[in-house]
Amino acid sequence: MKTATLIRELWKSAPGKLGLTLLGLLSLVSVYVILTYPSDYGTSRWGNPALWADNPKSVPPAWTGFLSSVKPTRHRIEEWEKPSEVVSLDFGHERIYRMVFALKGDEHPTFISFSLWNVEYHLRPPVITAVLSRPDGGRITLFRQAVSGPRTGEEAPYSRYRDEPLREVLGSDQRVKDQLTRFFSEKYIKDIDLDVVHSAPVMALFGVPGFDGGFPVLKGEYTLEVRILVNDERDKAGKVRMVQGGSVYGVMGTDALGRDLAEGLLFGLPVALLIGIATSTISTLLGMILGMVSGYAGGKTDLVIQRAADIVANIPVLPLLIFLVFIGGSKLWLILMVLVAFSWPGLTIMVRSMVLQLRTGQEVEAAKTLGASGARVIFSHIFPHTASYILAQLVFFAPSAILAEAGLSFLGLGDPSIPTWGQVLEYGFRTGAVFLGYWWWVVPPGLLIVITAVTFMFLALGLEPVVDPRLRGRRWWRY
Amino acid sequence: MSLLRTLLVRGLTMLGVLLAVQILVVVCLGATGYSDRMLQAVISEQLRGMRSSLAQTIRDPARLEEALEAHREELESSYGLDRPWFARMPGMVARVFKLDLGEAHTLRSSDGSNRVADIVLERIPATMLLLTSAMVITAGIGILIGVKLATHPGSPLDRVVSGFSAVSFALPTWWVGILLILIFSFRLGILPTGGMYSVPPPDGGFARFMDLLYHALLPIFTLVLASLGPYVYVIRTMTLNIAQAEHVTIARAKGLSERTVSGRHILRVAAPPIVTSLILGLAGTLGGSILVETVFNWRGMGRLYYEAIAGTPDEMVIVALTFIYTLIYILARMVLEVLYVILDPRVRYG
Repeated sequence: MKTATLIRELWKSAPGKLGLTLLGLLSLVSVYVILTYPSDYGTSRWGNPALWADNPKSVPPAWTGFLSSVKPTRHRIEEWEKPSEVVSLDFGHERIYRMVFALKGDEHPTFISFSLWNVEYHLRPPVITAVLSRPDGGRITLFRQAVSGPRTGEEAPYSRYRDEPLREVLGSDQRVKDQLTRFFSEKYIKDIDLDVVHSAPVMALFGVPGFDGGFPVLKGEYTLEVRILVNDERDKAGKVRMVQGGSVYGVMGTDALGRDLAEGLLFGLPVALLIGIATSTISTLLGMILGMVSGYAGGKTDLVIQRAADIVANIPVLPLLIFLVFIGGSKLWLILMVLVAFSWPGLTIMVRSMVLQLRTGQEVEAAKTLGASGARVIFSHIFPHTASYILAQLVFFAPSAILAEAGLSFLGLGDPSIPTWGQVLEYGFRTGAVFLGYWWWVVPPGLLIVITAVTFMFLALGLEPVVDPRLRGRRWWRY
Repeated sequence: MSLLRTLLVRGLTMLGVLLAVQILVVVCLGATGYSDRMLQAVISEQLRGMRSSLAQTIRDPARLEEALEAHREELESSYGLDRPWFARMPGMVARVFKLDLGEAHTLRSSDGSNRVADIVLERIPATMLLLTSAMVITAGIGILIGVKLATHPGSPLDRVVSGFSAVSFALPTWWVGILLILIFSFRLGILPTGGMYSVPPPDGGFARFMDLLYHALLPIFTLVLASLGPYVYVIRTMTLNIAQAEHVTIARAKGLSERTVSGRHILRVAAPPIVTSLILGLAGTLGGSILVETVFNWRGMGRLYYEAIAGTPDEMVIVALTFIYTLIYILARMVLEVLYVILDPRVRYG
């Protein structure tokens, strides 16, 4: 049967139509991912915590704000190459980088930080200060430190923070807490709950003392300044980044490392398709060839293959899969190979019985009488009759392979260099996301697994009318 | 006679499976050097015991080391470490069968023993409780719903259930468990998130049992939910095929009551293939239970897998678990095979 006819047949049935549409969509997204993501994505990006440091940790997607009565605070990240202002002083200059931001949400920012790259100085080390101005007039110095001095033997200009930026998460310093406590007792004459200031200084930093001992958000305009006090005009800083951590992030939220889940989940799609399609193709080929050989050759070959199929078909797959991958190491190709090794017998037994029927049929008899070789009989007179059935099996193997890999990854045996949906779930489960109710972390990956697997299920259901109706009853999900 | 023969053939196949799994496990352990390391660990363990007892009699440290070295060589040859791993295979298979797998690195049984056999064996009841109740409930509900659907083929309910069963092939059981925890434990707060007993467990046998039941509710529900769909579908199709057979029409024509018709003439005939479908679903349920135990922190053998993989890997615990799971699977298969033979007269008289 031609591919075009097959697709037309498939399109006729509702599940077939649904399956084809879904498969088309998933393939399009996969192509986009393959074209835009680096090939070593797992190790270079997903597995590199430094890249995600400036993202808020374990926060829900941004759109949840529309559904909830509590308005979240969005994530802000700003970067400067040049200072916003330079102030001349008697003994030098102060280069000021300013981030002005308005807090409108009801939730506190999750953190506040700045990073500094490429500081260069000639005579005296610059002094770096970070100051937060609050809408109620409070000015809190969050950070003050001099850049490390010249080392012995080092020549001017002295370069600092070239490879690794100076990254400071602000607010947890004891001096900050003291300033806050003093400021609150002067401005708001109330008993301040010192415990909150000490345990959650960021909440106090962006809040006012409330009646219940908490610190509700103080809405309004804040300014975070990073000031670099230099003594020589030639001294400079390469880049300054300031981050106000949001209480929500992106389309899919973040995990405990601040990784953008949307990015990782998108990467999981081509991987899942690869697992499904590669495993099912190889195991179907293997099952088909063994079945044909077994049925056509007969005798001892048949006996050996059938006994082997009996045994392999009766092995509980998951325990063996866990054992083999545990011993052999968590590599994706190994997982695929083990899955293939356990999934051929069903098809072999099936194909063999079909070949046995066909072998004694008139068509084969006629071909043999005309002098056709064994290979020709198999390819031209047996294979075409089994092709549509084998195709149905091909489609049907895919979801079980995807589910098996996901399960294995969930147990912690996933290939760490290739992030999959199962691994995202595993990390979420291990760090307690399920028990903390971080649904955005554990629901979408599972849903994606289901959608991908269901696509193949629908295709298999749609193929049903195409497959020889006599065999329909023998399909394993029916009997 | 043929009954015995059939059972014997099935039994031999199962034995073949068990042996094949053992050989596979042992070859993997041998070829990767795991078995060498394992035996070395056993030997050093024995030598450590010997050192303290020998130190009582031999005062000279040099002579002590010498004596220990002699013992080491003796032990190494008795364990076969002086031969290549494939020569030791039969011994290794026997050790796995006896669960004589030495000691775990970090895992301990509840009474503190670090013997692999103790750790694994004490987890069996929890797993069996989960597995058997899930299977019995699935079979019971499956037969009820499947037969009900078969009597009304094409009805809206029939279509919904058929569609659901197709989708449920694509559902990862463990993820369903996670969803249920999010709904029933986190959102509604009516069921525990995991574990087997409350902390502290209630006093008294009955209260303890009820507590266990309360904790088992969600895991069992998860397993049932995941395996019910395909099972219902199979029973429905089986029953439907038989309900349309001629002998049923004749039975109705004879004026037999609907109860007798469905009980004696439909269900009785459909029983063997229903058992077959249970057999086919067994591996899936077993695999599902490993992951569901992990999700619900159900302290059975499945959770032990997770614990043995995480942190310091305990390879011998994993070997033991793989063996026990294969064994349980094979025993359950045999029970179902016997049931099949009892139910299907054709096997007996054929």
